[in-house]
Amino acid sequence: MMDIVTLLLAAVFLPLFPFSMVFNALFERLPHPVLRSVMLLVWPLIGIYLLQGERQLPPDWTVIWASATAILYGFRLIAIRDMGRWIGFLATSAWSLLWVSINAGMNGGWLYQFALGFSVPLVMLVIMATHIGARFGAAYTGLYGGLAATTPRLSGVLVFATLAATATPVFPAFFIMLHNIVSSAPEIVAAMLIAWLLWTWASARLLQGLIVGSKAGEAVQDIGKVLTWLYALLMAVLALSGLYLAGGRL
Amino acid sequence: MNIALGTSLKIRSMIHMAAEPIPFFWPMRTFIHHNPLHGLEDMPFTEAVERGAKLFHGRTFLPRKVYQKYLAAGEINQFAVAAAIQDFVGNHERINGIALDKWLMSLLNEMELPFTLTNTLADAGDVHASLNSRDIRPVENMNLADLESFLCNKLLDCRPIYEAVDTLFGTDIGNELDELVIRTCLDFFDEGQSVWEMPERGRGLFAAWRCVAKRNLRFFLRGFHISRILEAADTPEGIIACVMQQLGIPEEQWIDYFTRELSRLHGWVGFIRWRSSARRYYWADQYPADLVDFMAIRLTLALALLNSRKLKRLAHTMNDLEETIHSNTIETYLRHELYGKTILPEMAFRVERAIQLGNKEKLEAVFYEYIAVKRNHEARHQAARFQELARLSGNQDALKRLSAEDISRLQNIIADFEKQEGMLWLHALESRAIGHLLNGLTPESGADGPEAGRPFAQAMFCIDTRSERIRRHLESVGDYQTFGIAGFFGVPVSFMPHGKGSETHLCPVIVTPKNLVLEITAAQYQDAAAITTLEKAIHELKESVLAPFVTVEAIGLLFGFDMVGKTLIPQTYNRWRRHLHEARPSTRLLLDKLSRRQADSVLRAVQRAVIEKAVEREFGIEPEKITDDITRDVRETALGRQHRADIFTRELGLNDEAAYAFIGRLQGAYRINRDFSHLQIEQLGRIGFTLDEQVTYVGTALRTIGLMKNFSRFVLLVGHGSTSENNPYESALDCGACGGNHGLVSGRVLAQMANKPQVRRALRRQHDIDIPDDTWFIPAFHNTTTDELHMHDLELIPPSHLVYIDRLRNGLVAASRLSAHERVPDLTPDENQETGPAKAFSLAQRNSMDWSQVRPEWGLSKNAYFVIGRRSLTKEFALHGRAFLHSYDYRTDPRRRLLENILTGPLVVGQWINMEHYFSVVDNERFGSGSKVNHNVAGRFGVMTGNISDLRTGLPSQTVLKDGLPYHEPIRLITVIEAPIEHARQAIEGVVAVKKLVHNGWLRMIVIDPDTRNASLYATERWHEIKLPIDESSSSEELFAL
Repeated sequence: MMDIVTLLLAAVFLPLFPFSMVFNALFERLPHPVLRSVMLLVWPLIGIYLLQGERQLPPDWTVIWASATAILYGFRLIAIRDMGRWIGFLATSAWSLLWVSINAGMNGGWLYQFALGFSVPLVMLVIMATHIGARFGAAYTGLYGGLAATTPRLSGVLVFATLAATATPVFPAFFIMLHNIVSSAPEIVAAMLIAWLLWTWASARLLQGLIVGSKAGEAVQDIGKVLTWLYALLMAVLALSGLYLAGGRL
Repeated sequence: MNIALGTSLKIRSMIHMAAEPIPFFWPMRTFIHHNPLHGLEDMPFTEAVERGAKLFHGRTFLPRKVYQKYLAAGEINQFAVAAAIQDFVGNHERINGIALDKWLMSLLNEMELPFTLTNTLADAGDVHASLNSRDIRPVENMNLADLESFLCNKLLDCRPIYEAVDTLFGTDIGNELDELVIRTCLDFFDEGQSVWEMPERGRGLFAAWRCVAKRNLRFFLRGFHISRILEAADTPEGIIACVMQQLGIPEEQWIDYFTRELSRLHGWVGFIRWRSSARRYYWADQYPADLVDFMAIRLTLALALLNSRKLKRLAHTMNDLEETIHSNTIETYLRHELYGKTILPEMAFRVERAIQLGNKEKLEAVFYEYIAVKRNHEARHQAARFQELARLSGNQDALKRLSAEDISRLQNIIADFEKQEGMLWLHALESRAIGHLLNGLTPESGADGPEAGRPFAQAMFCIDTRSERIRRHLESVGDYQTFGIAGFFGVPVSFMPHGKGSETHLCPVIVTPKNLVLEITAAQYQDAAAITTLEKAIHELKESVLAPFVTVEAIGLLFGFDMVGKTLIPQTYNRWRRHLHEARPSTRLLLDKLSRRQADSVLRAVQRAVIEKAVEREFGIEPEKITDDITRDVRETALGRQHRADIFTRELGLNDEAAYAFIGRLQGAYRINRDFSHLQIEQLGRIGFTLDEQVTYVGTALRTIGLMKNFSRFVLLVGHGSTSENNPYESALDCGACGGNHGLVSGRVLAQMANKPQVRRALRRQHDIDIPDDTWFIPAFHNTTTDELHMHDLELIPPSHLVYIDRLRNGLVAASRLSAHERVPDLTPDENQETGPAKAFSLAQRNSMDWSQVRPEWGLSKNAYFVIGRRSLTKEFALHGRAFLHSYDYRTDPRRRLLENILTGPLVVGQWINMEHYFSVVDNERFGSGSKVNHNVAGRFGVMTGNISDLRTGLPSQTVLKDGLPYHEPIRLITVIEAPIEHARQAIEGVVAVKKLVHNGWLRMIVIDPDTRNASLYATERWHEIKLPIDESSSSEELFAL
């Protein structure tokens, strides 16, 4: 039997409700984008590291618990208007599904890659939220809108980052979800599909609340062309790594 | 609840009054250009646009940066702007050290965004502190009473209750309600697009909806207590009264409340308004509906939504909302900020969380923090605008020296200026356009000159702006004389085309035609061609619910070929397709009034044909066995003129019972009965015109345009229309004077009348108009999309004239090509592309056949002028399709009747067209119809954006904008009358509608006196004389002062 302390600690770092509140509370209180990015990259790795130290697999019920957490946070995601909080909730929902991968017997480097596959697009979203916040005061949906008309480059990157974070082909998260689905029992598959659907719904609402609409208010500056290319490159790398993931693991 | 008749009538009249500001919307099949603010034309233009902006939440002037572009391009005269600023400054108190004129000039020329911000918390003292980098004094005790009255004003001032609920609780009831109402409208008003009809439509909108709503599962699942609301009354008026009482709206506010409700879906409301007042509109006769029904449905659904399970705990009556504002002022304010989208984004999350927690102390703490931050923010932003403007006008030092009071005064003055800014730009734009027109016109003396030679041909074109080009080019290619007249040639006609059962009104919508003209043919009836039948079958398959699933694989490929053909080679493919269809037979118009005997004879012939068919069908008897005696016998019996049909019974070997049954069916199903015969005789009485009427119409048309002598051999009567593919707005490009239809039939009608010897004799006798015997009137069609000119009814031309036809045809072709050559570069993406006349002509034709073309032509875009006068006034002046040209010779109209006719009809239609374009440009989303790309046809009478929206009423962006900027220059119609001032003035005063338009500033009226060659412009409630020609550089300044 797995050490209970390790299990509890893992439930904090690979967030399972209610331990997930720790991550979300911390994430909310650390508004600096660098700190948030580091947290997004490192947090799940700690959880995986803790579980990797154990010889045994976590108990089966953790998968059910993880799926329920994914659905819960996916559901809450729909009503969230603050983009920072939105990213935290999506991270919680996505990372909880790493328990499914772990219980499916995955270990080693692949598991770390899976965690990063979920986290890197979220970091991109943090950067996008920072850009939006710098222009409007905060990245908050349904207040100003119309980014597609005022800042088309920023909107473009935001759309792709959101798609990558919500497991759209050909980004890594999509293949991770695919892997989890093919290696899970039907009821877990159903739960994961529900969570996935909720992410998609929430992402559509997020984008609708930010980029749809007509130009209003003062003109704001778009992100530079060089920066756009840089982000585009990053997205391309992400997409390629997704394909690599598919080729290597699936 | 049953309400008294008086109350019921009161509610009906309230709704009638509430809907007044909402303009009619005609079905798209006959698109009618209209002024979106037509209901406000009783008000001065300045006030009406202000009211319209509030009512329809639209912009009524262009954004400043677009006017700045006009200014940079020289479209607006800088002198005019400066004169306006000087005038404004002169009326305001000076502020020490501030060169106000410079500030205002910089504001107009260099600042893109408005200077005045909607500050709710920061005052001039805060702005002053911010300008001097001082801290803003903190708020210690906010006056909650002020806040309360601010909230009451914002939330409860004749605003639908659900809008207030949405603003306070972040719900989306307003949009949900609109969607439900639109779905009901789509179901009920459908004109054949849906496969499944709404049940019980014949009972009227409210009754039909009531039946459906009570059984609506979706409503039940969502917890709408529709039945409970509907039980309260039987009539729509009763429901309205009941809901308004439940919502707690005081009766004195009902009219304003209704107006706000109606203006949310002004497209649908405009359509229902028009429909309920339309006479002989088939769909309205079959399925009646009015705004009372609409309002009852809307209010029922609104109450059901507010009372629904999900929302019933929220405050949702007037009293509840007042109580909420009073008892929870702070929370209500924060909610208003958050859900009303006026919150500072940086505070949104904290405010949202505080509201969710609901802790009073926490809310209070967040509230005080929020108002401090917001006040600071507003003060900083306003101060930044001050600094920017001071920098632009080189007056930074003076700004620093201003006291808080000075800041307040300056802020108020600039706010006042910005309020008037739209009119300032509009005047400046118009004064440039007026100057340009007046300098281009060439008035001729009224004295008779030497008799001119007889032109080779004369042509009467529609006054439409698109005729200006082709008229100019036709005159340039040979000995042609052209005239402008309203495209229905002054003959209001209700037309029934060959093979159709419905009537089309060919006249401006403000006129109701009395006479019916039938199109008939001598050609034998033929079954539809195979390809036509196939096309019909395929379309029916497409429209069915299940068939597409089954047939997509079987015949999907056919559509594929069609698509490839239409997309890649539209010209060749469409020509090939046209060959597959049966050629249209040659037709004639039945336009002579029938005598009583003729009408009886026609009716008899029709009834006999029906009886023969009925006997053939019911008894399976071959036609040759049905003798005239049998039909007469049956007819007489069916009409009640005899009791028994003995011949019929005997010849067909029937018993009395079967014969009676058949006669009964004839009277019922086949409508061979006495009452219906009377009705038919009445209908037949509408057909055609008496000789007197024909003489009057021809005489008036010719006299109006001043064509009373010197007729040439050919007089073309050119109607116009457009052709385009996949374009619901096609009729918007057709002839407005023909009610949004093609104008050819009107040309044919007048030509047929004018070619009659009896008419010509009477004209000579009664009207002193001597049309020579060798003059022949030929109807023709001007296709405005391709610029083609086609003559019609050529088979009627006397043989002696045929030798000249080739010359005439060549002239028309040359004019078409030259016109296309002038017009097409504006339509192509690359304006500099060199195209010869032939290439341009070909491109124009391609445009008319390309189904992916969103802009087949520019239509009436850029319309700006309406010139009423002789051709000599504009002949030497290329107006590039910007002017309506109506021929008029005041010398032939001493009693001003003809001028009054022109003002009453054509000018009013021109003003509607102009205002439609104006408002569609200044706010294309609200007053226009947005992009065509997202449009979908709704119910076969309108378009919506996406799958559900209000009916889009104005013009699409592709018609008035180019690359996102105005193509049409939004100015009011500049009207010029060539006549002595007193003559014109009395005519204007004599037509109340036009007098109102001129006095209220809905159009700019100028009169040019041909004898003095001076112009008089109506402005500031009087006529001002302007000497011609005017100095171009100062003209606008002088004109602006008016």
